Amino acid sequence: MVDFKTLGQSLPRVDATQKVTGKAVYAADVYLPEMLMCKLLISPVSHARIVKLDTSKALKLPGVRAIVTGNNFPDVFFGSGALRDRRIMARDKVFYVGDPVAAVAADDEVTAQEALDLIEVEYEGLERVVHPLEAIEEGAPNVHDDVESFDGYGFAMGGNNCTLLDSDRGDVDQAFRDADHVFEDSYRSQAINQGFLEPMACVANLEPNGRLTVWASTQGPFQVRQQLASVLDMPLSRIKVVAMELGGGFGAKLRLAFEAFPALLSMKTGKPVKLVNTREEAFTINGPRLETNIHLKTGVMSDGTIVARESHSVFDVGAYLGAGPNSGVAHALGPYNIPNIRLRSYGVYTNKIYVGSYRASGVADMTFAVESHMDSIAHRLGIDPIEFRLRNALSEGDATAGGARVPKNGLRETVEAVKERMGLPKKLGENRGVGVAMGEWRSGSGPSTASISVNEDGTVSLLTGSVDISGSDTSLAQIAAESLGIELDQVIVSKRDTDMTPFTGPSGGSRIVYSQGKAVQQAAEDTRQKLFDLAAQRLGVQPSALVCSEGRVYVQDNPSQAMSLAQLARASLTSQQGPIIGLASLSSMPYAPVFNTQAAEVLVDTETGQVKVTRFVQAQDVGVAINPMAVVGQLEGGAVQGIGRALSEEMQIDPDTGRVMNPSLATYLMPLAVDMPEIETILVSVPSEDGPFGARAVAEPPGFGPPAAIANAIYDAVGVRINELPFSAERVLAALQGKETENRTVDVDSLKRREGM
Amino acid sequence: MKIPLQLKVNGELRQVLVQPYYSLLDALRDELLLTGTKKGCDEGDCGACTVIMDGRAVTSCLILAHSAKGAEITTIEGVADLAESEPGELHPVQQAFVDYGGLQCGFCTPGLIMSAVAFLQRNPNPDAGEVKFAIGGNLCRCTGYSKVVEAILAASETLRG
Repeated sequence: MVDFKTLGQSLPRVDATQKVTGKAVYAADVYLPEMLMCKLLISPVSHARIVKLDTSKALKLPGVRAIVTGNNFPDVFFGSGALRDRRIMARDKVFYVGDPVAAVAADDEVTAQEALDLIEVEYEGLERVVHPLEAIEEGAPNVHDDVESFDGYGFAMGGNNCTLLDSDRGDVDQAFRDADHVFEDSYRSQAINQGFLEPMACVANLEPNGRLTVWASTQGPFQVRQQLASVLDMPLSRIKVVAMELGGGFGAKLRLAFEAFPALLSMKTGKPVKLVNTREEAFTINGPRLETNIHLKTGVMSDGTIVARESHSVFDVGAYLGAGPNSGVAHALGPYNIPNIRLRSYGVYTNKIYVGSYRASGVADMTFAVESHMDSIAHRLGIDPIEFRLRNALSEGDATAGGARVPKNGLRETVEAVKERMGLPKKLGENRGVGVAMGEWRSGSGPSTASISVNEDGTVSLLTGSVDISGSDTSLAQIAAESLGIELDQVIVSKRDTDMTPFTGPSGGSRIVYSQGKAVQQAAEDTRQKLFDLAAQRLGVQPSALVCSEGRVYVQDNPSQAMSLAQLARASLTSQQGPIIGLASLSSMPYAPVFNTQAAEVLVDTETGQVKVTRFVQAQDVGVAINPMAVVGQLEGGAVQGIGRALSEEMQIDPDTGRVMNPSLATYLMPLAVDMPEIETILVSVPSEDGPFGARAVAEPPGFGPPAAIANAIYDAVGVRINELPFSAERVLAALQGKETENRTVDVDSLKRREGM
Repeated sequence: MKIPLQLKVNGELRQVLVQPYYSLLDALRDELLLTGTKKGCDEGDCGACTVIMDGRAVTSCLILAHSAKGAEITTIEGVADLAESEPGELHPVQQAFVDYGGLQCGFCTPGLIMSAVAFLQRNPNPDAGEVKFAIGGNLCRCTGYSKVVEAILAASETLRG
C-alpha cells in the first residue's frame, strides 16, 4: 500500500469557511446596478392551443420594462434528452400545467408579478392524456402530433412513445420453457422532486460589446452555453456562463432551465435581468422524476440459478423528453449474471411537467423493482435472500447488459460487510423486520480537462471546468496535492466560467472524482515532469533522479540537493521553457462498476401502517476514498434521500389535469433530522484499475437501495409485499388489511404484439 | 411606497427603505445585501432563512421587516461576534461544521448554524435527540443530517469549555 500524505485524509472542504460564514456566492446573491427582476407566466391548462396572447396592458404598467413570449424567440426546437422536441417557450400550444408562456422584466419582483395578471391569454382546450399507461396505448390522444418528425427520433412505436431502448441476449423464450420456475411481478415508483434547497436562479446581462454573461445555478455550464446558443440562435462564443456556487442539484440543474428568459429580456432592455424561482415554481415548471411502471419476468432453476429475465419498463417523461429511460435497460438485471435477456424501456409523453435527471435517473426505480423481485423470488423458492443474490451475483469477467466485461470489484465484500455488521440472517421481534438490497452503478465518464500552474510562492492554481458538487473541489485539490507533494492549502482551486476553462462534462452521474480527478492527476503528473526537467537542468542531474515532496524537488539519493517549488516557479519565468503549466485532456474513461449493499431494519405499526426505519447499514466499494469524511457524507446523504423516497416523498399529480398538487416543502415530505436513524456506513476499498489512485464513483448508488431494502424489511416484519412507492401509512395499512389496489400495470402482451412478437 | 425603517442588525443600527409588505428576509438580502441568509422557500418550511431575533431563532421570511423594528437581529454574517471570537475567527458552531463535515452544498448551512447557536444558548448540554429536534425546522438535502448533529454536539462541548 502506498503511503499517501494528503490523499485519504478527512480534510475539511476547501470552501467550508466561505459557506459557514454566508460568504459563498450563489446565483440569487448576484445583485447588479439597474438590475431588473423577471417573472414567468405559466400555462394553467394541460393541453391547449393559444388563440390569443396580448401583453399590451401589462406593458403599460409602470415599472414594466419588457415582456417576451414564444414569438420573440427564434423558432428553434431543442432537446434535453435525445430528441429535439421542444421550444424554450410556448408558441402556439401548451403541453402541461406549468409550460412557460411569457416572461416579464420589471423594476422589482412585485411589479413583474402584477404584470403577469395583466397578460391576456385565451386557450382552446385540446384532448389530454395524463396516465402513462393510457398514453402508451394505441389510439390515445397525442401529446405531440409530430413525434416522428422530431430531430433525433429513432426506433420507437410513434404515438406518445418517443423513445424505445432494447437489449437482447440468448434465447429468452426457450430459457423460460426450460426454467423450473417463472416469476412475474409488476412495480410502480412514484413521481419525486430532487428537493435541492436552492431554487433555480440566474442573472443575465448583455454586455456593451454584444456578449451575454449568465450567472447560473448549474451543474453543467457548458451544456447551458450550448443550449442557450441554440435557443437564442446566437454564436456560442458570444455567451459566457459563470457557474455560481451550487445549492444542490442532484441532476435537476444539468441542463438549460430558465436562463434563456432573463437572457432575451436583457437583450431587449440592455440591463441585467435576474430570475429566482419560487419554491412552487421549483415543483411545477421543470425537471422532476415521474412515475415508472415496471414488469419483470424471471426464469429460475430449482437450485436458485437465474436463467432468463424479461423486463418492460414504461417511463413517464411528461411533456418533453428531459432525460431518457436508459436505466430501464442498463439496470433491469441488477448486479446479476443472467444469460438470456429481453429488456425493453419505453419513454412515453403525457400532459404533465417534463422529467429531468435525479441522482441516476431511473436507476432507483429499477433497483426498487429488481431487488424487491429478487427478494420475493427467494422467499417463494425458500432460499435465503442473500444466498440467492450471491448465487447469481456478477463476478469478474461476466458481461453486463450492455456487453461490458466486469472488472475486479468489491461487490461480494459489500455483502459480507453488511451481513456481519447487521448479524444476518436473523429474525427480529414482532412487527420488526430486516431487508437487504444490492445496487450497481458505473463510474461516470465524459470529457475532462484540467490545468495546473505553479505560482512564484510555490502554491499551485488548479483550473477545471467542473462545478463543485459534494465537495469535489476538495477531492480534486487533494489529488493535485498528493501528486505534487504539497499540502492541501497550497492548492488554489479557481472558480470557473466557460470563457476561462476548457470544455468539460457536467457535474453529474458521479463523474467528477473518477473522470475529472483523472484529468487532474494527469495534469499534476505533467506539472511534476516539467518541474523535474527544470530542476534537472539547474541541479545538473537526470530528471529521473528527482522526487517531489514537501514543497521541494530534490535528488532522491541526496535530499539536500534541492529546489523548492517557489524557486523553480521563479526560475521558470526566465527559463527557456517558460512558466510551468501542466495540462491534461481526456475523453472517456473505461467502465468501472460501483457496487453497494444496503440493509434496513424497520418497525411497522400495524394499527396505523406507519413504518419507521430503526437501523440502516450500508457498504459501498469506493475503490479508494480520496476524502473519507466527504465520501461518508455523500453516502449518508444519498441513503437519506432514498429513505425519503421509500417512505414519504411523492409529487401528487392530479390524474385529470396532470397538475402538481403539492408544490411546497410543507406538503412534499422530505426527511427531517428527527425522522432519520443513524446511518452506519462501511467503506469497501477494491481499487479501480483506471480511476485516480484507484478511486471509483461514489454519489449515486446510496440512493438506490433504500426503497427495496425497506420493502423487503416490511415483508419480513408483517408478511405483506408492497410493490408501489412510497410506503405511506395509508398504503401499508391497506396492504395489512388485505385490500387489493386497483392500479394498472404494464400491458406486456400488447407491447409485444406491437413489436411483432 | 417604501417607508424608512431602522433595524439593528449584527450590533449596528441600519437605515433601510422598505415596502410595508417586505419580509425581514427581503430587507436583509435586497436592501442590506446580507446575502448569507438564504431564501429556500419564502413560506417558513425550509429554515434556510433562519436568523436570531432577540435570542430566538426565527424564519426571517415570515417576519415583516417593519415588525423587526427595535429587535436585536443576528445573521450569519454577525454570528461569530456572539461568541466574542477574535476578528477573523469563526464561532465554535461554524468551526465545528467545518471540522466535522456538517455541510455540503452549503445553502441550508447558515440557517442550520443560526438554529444551532440559538439552541445551544438555551440548552448548552444537549443529547443527540434534542439536537435533532432543535433543527427540526431546517431542511438539508445533502448531508442526511448525521454530520450536522455530530458538529452541533461537538460545538456544545467547545462552548461549555
